[in-house]
Amino acid sequence: MADPHAAPAFGTAALRVFELGLGQMLWSRRSVFMALVAGAPVLIAALLRALAALPGFDGEAGALARPAGLDGPGVFGLMIWSFYLRFTVPVLGVFYGAALLADEVEDRTITYLFTRPVPRGAVLAGKYLAYLVCTAVIVLPSVMLVYFLVVPLAGGSIGRNFPALLLDLGLIGAGLAVYGAVFALVGARFRRPLLTGLVFVFGWEPVVVVLPGYMKYLSVAYYLQGLAPHAMPRGDALDVLQALLTSVQTPLAAGTNVAALAFIWAAALAAAVRVAGRREYVLGQ
Amino acid sequence: MSPPVVAADRVSKWYGQVIGLNDVTVAIPPGVSGLLGPNGAGKSTLLKLVTGQLKPNQGSVRVLGEPIWGNPGAYRRIGYCPDHDAFYERMTGRDFLTALLGLSGFEGARAAGAAERALDTVGLAAAADRRIGGYSKGMRQRIKLAQAIAHDPQLLVLDEPLAGLDPLGRRRMIDVIRAWGRDGRSVVVSSHVLHEIELLTSNILLLHDGRILAEGNVHQIRDLIDEHPHTVRIAADDPRRLARHLLDWPHVVALRLQEADVIAQTDRPDAFYTGLTALAAGDEAGAIGGVTSPDDNLQAVFSYLVER
Repeated sequence: MADPHAAPAFGTAALRVFELGLGQMLWSRRSVFMALVAGAPVLIAALLRALAALPGFDGEAGALARPAGLDGPGVFGLMIWSFYLRFTVPVLGVFYGAALLADEVEDRTITYLFTRPVPRGAVLAGKYLAYLVCTAVIVLPSVMLVYFLVVPLAGGSIGRNFPALLLDLGLIGAGLAVYGAVFALVGARFRRPLLTGLVFVFGWEPVVVVLPGYMKYLSVAYYLQGLAPHAMPRGDALDVLQALLTSVQTPLAAGTNVAALAFIWAAALAAAVRVAGRREYVLGQ
Repeated sequence: MSPPVVAADRVSKWYGQVIGLNDVTVAIPPGVSGLLGPNGAGKSTLLKLVTGQLKPNQGSVRVLGEPIWGNPGAYRRIGYCPDHDAFYERMTGRDFLTALLGLSGFEGARAAGAAERALDTVGLAAAADRRIGGYSKGMRQRIKLAQAIAHDPQLLVLDEPLAGLDPLGRRRMIDVIRAWGRDGRSVVVSSHVLHEIELLTSNILLLHDGRILAEGNVHQIRDLIDEHPHTVRIAADDPRRLARHLLDWPHVVALRLQEADVIAQTDRPDAFYTGLTALAAGDEAGAIGGVTSPDDNLQAVFSYLVER
């Protein structure tokens, strides 16, 4: 007969921390702020839609004003890459991932979790699951709204582009998972994880993905870029923008990108769980 | 002789350049034990080592016969009530307990039943479905105690559980801790107020500057303490009215008002606290809020002991 007072197994403990942590995370000030960040592309999309409703947008004058090839799906693809995959997703990863345990340590509520008969790694794993759900709730509705606002511009078809939307959503989910795992490790390991994370996202990644050589393999953005389903729109101004935002290297095969992301995710999460299990957290007096 | 519930062997703990505990060896027997020392003496550090939150830099800590650091399986036999006032403010008291019971291996109806019993024990059943963020100081102290006892641990570790409670809240908390000890379970409780510890047990450990200064029976230290007046700070709705009452008490040796508080010095803490509880239960002195005891007087006694 099972011991009625047995400590919960790792998975069960992680699920219980998830249940405890999700509500706290969803209704935090950070989530309100991040919802505003995720809402910015929706505002831009709504503005574009309003501009498109102006007389003459679909005519010759409008066409001249639009860079060549910039139809609705093209704009959507650019927004997915520039607003979501290169900004919102890493920022969510940094601000939530790095704070999975740091918030509890700062609030001193970590005491209640770390004095229970569960491995500390399970606490981190549970908080990570809560992060995934919380950030998905914040960012995915924003993507859907942008899709429905932008894709119909200049004759784009919502139905025909729907498979690409599903790929985009999957890619954003993968980005959230991988960035979250990386920054969970940074948060578990370093005392000032936010700064480290921001330097990685806004300092390291934008540089290495456009540099020749092997440094780009030490980023998440490079592999995500290789999986982006949209053919980037072409045009003089956009070529310059694209050169700033994407790699100039020959892309890897899709399977290689998926395998690389899966490896980074698993290795970072396993290391984060291990570090959290061994580290001593001293609460400030 | 029963094996100790807590055995620390040459334990040292430091935070950077600051020493928290210095080469402490102690065996705490079953039953209720008090850990007494001024603020900064190392009480919280010792209790965090005992509950596996901190890892000793040197030495080892065993609790209920098992090494404690990195051994979460042992935590289910320990209940810990921290000194800090930190909560998941949006949760209700019941949800808070149920969630933590889930992490102690309780599920469904068992978790709900255990939460209900703990809430009853600390007198919070009526407020169980209110958010913790709306609880008073006393209620927050009690929900902290409830989460420590809810999973029916063998060892209860309480860090300053009476701090800031009103007289009636102190009375209730003391009753709960005493009952826990009477049931044959063990309690280690810390305080910087001898009188509080004395109400709970005669078995005390004196901690000062990260070292065990003395351990054993409370009476010897009590004789020394009585030479130094005991200071009590009382928050009151009408401090002048309360002060007028206290002035008539023969064991009050000094009295002053500071903002909305009355600060009294007494040479007989037992009689003082008994009288204060009676006063709080009645209405003649107005509402009496939190009672705290600055540890200046205890610090003086410890300095005296160190010099001896």
